[in-house]
Amino acid sequence: MPNRAESVPAKLMDLASIIRLQNHDGGWPYRNGGSSWTEPTVFALLAQSAQPGDRQSVERGLAWLRAAQRQDGGWPPCPSVAQSTWVTAMAALLPADQLGRACHTNAINWLMEQTGKETSLAYRLRNELIGDGAGADETHRGWPFFPGAAAWVTPTAFGVLALEKARRHQAAIAVEQRILVGREFLLDRICKDGGWNYGRSNVLGVDAPSYPETTGQALLALNQVRSAKVDRALTAAQDEARACQSSEGLSWLQLGLQAHGVAAAGPARKLECRRLVDSAVSILAQAALGGRNIFLE
Amino acid sequence: MGNGITRREALAVAAGCITLTRCSMLGARSAVPRVSIVRAGYTQSIYDTVRRLLVEHRVDVRGKRVVVKPNLVEFDPGTTINTHPMLVHAAVEGFRALGAADVRIAEGPGHRRVTLDLADAAGYFETIPQFEDLFTDLNLDDVSQVLLRDPFSRLTSLYFPNTALGADLIVSLPKMKTHHWVGATLSMKNFFGLVPGGIYGWPKNVLHWAGIDECIADLHAAFPRHFAIVDGVVGMEGNGPIQGNPKPVGVLVVGGDMTAVDATCCRIMRINPSMIRYLRLAAGPSRLEEQNIRQIGEAIKNVQTPFDLIEPFQNIRL
Repeated sequence: MPNRAESVPAKLMDLASIIRLQNHDGGWPYRNGGSSWTEPTVFALLAQSAQPGDRQSVERGLAWLRAAQRQDGGWPPCPSVAQSTWVTAMAALLPADQLGRACHTNAINWLMEQTGKETSLAYRLRNELIGDGAGADETHRGWPFFPGAAAWVTPTAFGVLALEKARRHQAAIAVEQRILVGREFLLDRICKDGGWNYGRSNVLGVDAPSYPETTGQALLALNQVRSAKVDRALTAAQDEARACQSSEGLSWLQLGLQAHGVAAAGPARKLECRRLVDSAVSILAQAALGGRNIFLE
Repeated sequence: MGNGITRREALAVAAGCITLTRCSMLGARSAVPRVSIVRAGYTQSIYDTVRRLLVEHRVDVRGKRVVVKPNLVEFDPGTTINTHPMLVHAAVEGFRALGAADVRIAEGPGHRRVTLDLADAAGYFETIPQFEDLFTDLNLDDVSQVLLRDPFSRLTSLYFPNTALGADLIVSLPKMKTHHWVGATLSMKNFFGLVPGGIYGWPKNVLHWAGIDECIADLHAAFPRHFAIVDGVVGMEGNGPIQGNPKPVGVLVVGGDMTAVDATCCRIMRINPSMIRYLRLAAGPSRLEEQNIRQIGEAIKNVQTPFDLIEPFQNIRL
């Protein structure tokens, strides 16, 4: 059984360094000197909820996020993009009392309206009209990265996690139902090796292998789900952790496995965190190994 | 390059598609395209080979900003999937030797978010000094919106990384591979990596819905200041671009007209270039004909190596 010290990456941007990367406008960039983006801003804020952070930094970050929210309730990847996307689910992972109740509710409402194009009503109608009803399975509705595209594993995992958080504070049948179909989507996209890749388990009759980062994210979203498929995924995730070549991949596996009460032994070689996001995810994984999984609170 | 948007980048964006489209029409397309085929291996001599090829093609990059764009796809220590790091380093050194003001390596993988870890596993950190300082992850770069003039696809605009928009020359360094959706992936398909995953996701599925072939042709038109060096030392046949088998060919294919370079690669792979839809869209059938491309170096017949094709693409065999 690995201990927390063993699983700390060889090189890691600590929380103080992450805070120092904050831009003057209150958001965080993906890379030093870049402009502020939604995803790294959310990760920097989540990391500050896993470890004692800087209150002023958190307030500025939240203010940036509130200002970046679009009229439709979603968030763009960065303010220069005029489109709400999957990062809305990331923002909705922040506690509603921090983000603001109205902000959070609007985000959840936006998420509830999103679905992969392959299961949208318009697309299914079109397929019915041209006599191709195959593949239009209403029970497997996930989330796309970008509106108008198909659903994939990562945005679906975060969509489920965001709705789960909302459900804990405000139960609603529609939300509950969407969590279920989102999880069905994930279980439907499982790879033959037991884990998940981006969301295509078979390409032209050839099985595709799974990835550590998406396997961890899917397991995280499938917390509390008990099934033979999940059991097999847990075994696959432990195997992937031992062979993992990416610190971010390992962190997601640790988070996903911890959500099921399983500890992961990492690879023999120490992995490096090279950017803000993989460092922040590593901080969140360390917190989970210590018993506090921020995604499930 | 890389730290925020500069004046040059802002100008490039403001000029938008009008400038880009005109460059495409008035640039290299008027002359007969020249394509070099040279024998090469992953040895020290590849540095001299690349430098010589750049001189032969009179690539003028003095004082210019060059972006070298390899194909990084998957964790693969065998580098059958990814462009070999030695070729990438040779290109960087070659453009520096020609007086480029700035040479960056940039890529935005389509399936994996962990780009630097991919590069590490592919040997880029080990082979290329200060790799991390030279590298821009195009998936996470700052972006600007560019309108597409007369697009082949249904898209009217795309967000592009400012690093790519601010480049004077983008050098496509793909692997010579078959592709299960479009037949072959070469220098033009490699430009999918210019589309930011940070906006469109992993995969960049918006491009798939808009038509893969059409989007390849649109990207080719959107970035007309380009050059291509195809890594055909060891390519991939069969179920490419990820799950195929290594195919040693032992060549680099080089030129300033990507449609001509890709058509030549297809002939080497014994694929009919006029059966590749995105090539037909971007070049038109006559421009793909062998007599309309000036071949330099090895003759195609001397290096021709039939690549295995999966069943749906048996009809593209030359």
